[in-house]
Amino acid sequence: MPRPKILVVDDDPDLVRALRLRLRANNYEVTTATDGYTAIAAAQKDRPALIILDLGLPVGDGFVVLERLQNSDTLSGVPVIVLSARDPHSNEERALKAGAAAFFQKPADNDELMNVIRVSLSPTHSQTAPWPS
Amino acid sequence: MTDQQTTQVLLIEDNPGDADLVRLRLIEGRSPVNVNCVGRLSEGLASITRETPSVVLLDLNLPDSHGAETFRRIMDHAPNVPVVVLSGQDDEALAMKAVHHGVQDYLVKGNISSKQLERAIRYAVERQALLRALEITQKQQLEFKNRFLSHVSHELRTPLTCIHQYVSLLVDGLAGPLAPDQSDHLKTVLKSVNQLHAMIRDLLEATRAESGKMQIEPRCIALGELVQQAVAMLRPTADEKKVGLEIGLDQRLPLVHADPDRTLEVLINLLDNAIKFTPQDGSVMVQANVVDADPSYVYVSVSDTGRGINPETKTLIFDRLYQDADAIDNNRSGLGLGLFICREIVRLHEGRIWVSSEPGQGSTFTFTLPVYSLAKLLAPVITHKNLLRPSFVLVRVELTPLSNPPRGNWKETCRQCLETVRRCVYLDKDLVLPPMGTSGAAETIFIVASTDLQQSAVMTARIREQLERVADLKAKSTVTITTLPIELPSDSRSGTLEQQVQAVAGSVGQTILTSMDRKQLLTGKSKEIN
Repeated sequence: MPRPKILVVDDDPDLVRALRLRLRANNYEVTTATDGYTAIAAAQKDRPALIILDLGLPVGDGFVVLERLQNSDTLSGVPVIVLSARDPHSNEERALKAGAAAFFQKPADNDELMNVIRVSLSPTHSQTAPWPS
Repeated sequence: MTDQQTTQVLLIEDNPGDADLVRLRLIEGRSPVNVNCVGRLSEGLASITRETPSVVLLDLNLPDSHGAETFRRIMDHAPNVPVVVLSGQDDEALAMKAVHHGVQDYLVKGNISSKQLERAIRYAVERQALLRALEITQKQQLEFKNRFLSHVSHELRTPLTCIHQYVSLLVDGLAGPLAPDQSDHLKTVLKSVNQLHAMIRDLLEATRAESGKMQIEPRCIALGELVQQAVAMLRPTADEKKVGLEIGLDQRLPLVHADPDRTLEVLINLLDNAIKFTPQDGSVMVQANVVDADPSYVYVSVSDTGRGINPETKTLIFDRLYQDADAIDNNRSGLGLGLFICREIVRLHEGRIWVSSEPGQGSTFTFTLPVYSLAKLLAPVITHKNLLRPSFVLVRVELTPLSNPPRGNWKETCRQCLETVRRCVYLDKDLVLPPMGTSGAAETIFIVASTDLQQSAVMTARIREQLERVADLKAKSTVTITTLPIELPSDSRSGTLEQQVQAVAGSVGQTILTSMDRKQLLTGKSKEIN
C-alpha cells in the first residue's frame, strides 16, 4: 500500500525539516513548500492526502491558501491542519470557517498532532456521513 | 484655551429666582457665556443629547429627581461633560459623595460671587479635559501593552517550536538511539521548554484577563471527576518529590456550574504551587465540600504542609506579578501570574478565592464555585405569563461523533452547534441548559421550551435545519433530536412563583435523568465511547 502523502507548508525551513523527519518516521511521504504561492502549486502537482499549513506565510498567507484550496474542484476535499504560532482566540474560528479541519497552536503536542492526522486520513472520513432524516 | 470661546452653560434649576440670579452672575463675568436654563432633569438630559454643553450647573432637588440621584443620572448620561453642583444644602457628606462620583465642584447657592462662579466653571472645564486626556492615554497604553505582549508571545513561539520539535525528535529516538544519560539530559531540556511554553501561555492569559477579554463557558459538571483528573496529572511531580497527594470529596457534592477547562487550570495551578512549596515527605490534600452556611456554592481547597505564608503577604499573593521572595531564591517559579489568573477565573464564575495560613504550619487555598441549580436557571423563563398555560417540553439534541477521537476540532464544533441552538429558541420562553459533563465525545444539549409537544416540532425542525449549516458537522457526527414532555406535579399550579419554579425544575431534572443514564450524566462520559 502506498504511503499517504502530506504537504507541509511553513516558512521556517528548520521546522519543515523537523516535521518531515517525524512524519516520515510515522510512515508518511512528505512534500514541502515555504510560501503561499508554492504551496498551491505543490498541492496541484503532488496531490497530497493532507496538508499541514502555517498561517503567516510570504506570497499569500495561510488564509489565502485555504481559500484557494476550497475554491478548487480537485483540492477542496483535502483535509488541512493549520499549525500556527498565532493566537487561537482570534484565528482558530476563522481558520475552521475557511475550511481547515483542525487548528494547532505552536508548539503543538506531537502525539495529538499525529493522532489528528491519522483520524483525518482514515477512510471513514472521505465519504459523507449519514444524516438523520 | 477655553476662555476665548463662548462657554455653553446648561443650568438645570427649577427655582426661577435662583435661576435668574445665577444667570445674572454669569453674565456679569468677563468671559463670554451662553446660558440655557431648564427646570427639570429630564429636560436637561434631552438638552445634552441635542447639544453637548461646555458645563452643567446642577441643582440637586428638582421636580423629577432628588439628591445624589440627580448627579448620578446626569453623569451616567454624559460622563464626559463637567458637572458643577449648585445646591441649597451646605451638606459636606453629600458634597464628598458628589466629588467621589466625579462631580467637578460643589458650590452652595447664595454666597457665590460672579468671579468665584466664573472661576469654578473654568477650572471644572479644564479638569474634565485633563481627566479625559489621561483616560485616553491610559487606554492607549493598555492597548499598546496588550498588542506588544501578543506580538512578543507570537515571536517567542516560533523559535520555541523549533527547539521543541528537534528535542522531541531526539528524545523519541527518531534520530537514532541515545545513551541513557543523553536521553535524561534531553528530557530535562524538554521539561524546560514546556515550562517556557507555559510561561508564554500565562503571559497572554494574564493580559487577556486584565483587559477583560478572558471568557468562560460554564457547563454542568461533576467536580469530582475534575479533581481526579488534576491529581492524576500532578501525581508524577508529587511522586518525584516524595510528597503525598490525597483527595477528600464530600459524599453530598452536587453538580457545579463551571467551565471545566478553566476549573482544571485553577486546580492544576494550586496543586502545582502546593507541591512546589511542600518539603519531601510532606503532603498535599485536595478537598471539595458542601458548606451548610453557604449552600449555593461548593468549596474546593488545596492544603499543603509547607512553610506557610506570612500574614502580610496573604492579600498580595493573588496580585499580578507577585512573587514570594524566598521562592525566587529557591525555584524557577514562573512569572508570578498563576494565582492572578486563578483569581480572575474564579471571579468570572462569581466565586471567591482566598488563602488561610500560619507560618510554619502550611497553607490552604480555597475557592468557591456555584452549584448547578436548575431552579436558578429556569427562574427568568418561568414567569406568571408562561405559567398560565403550564406546558413544558424538554428537547434533547445529541451530537455523536463518527470517530474516536472525533475529527478536527470537536470542541469548537460543539461550541458552534450550541451557538446555533441558542439562536433557534425564544429568549423569553425557552432556555438552553448549559451542556453536561466535562469530557467524553458525545455532546448533549437540552432545551426547556415553554410550549407543547405539537408546537415544539416547529422548533426542532428549525434546529435541524440550522445545524445542517454548521460547517462539516455532517462529516463529523450524527445528530439525534428527541422531544420529551415534562410531567408537572398536579399541584404545581398552586403556591408562590418560586415554588412553581422549583416544581418545574424538579420535573425537568427528573426528565433529564430518565432520558440519560444517571451515571453517564454525572461523569460526563457517554456510553457510546468504545
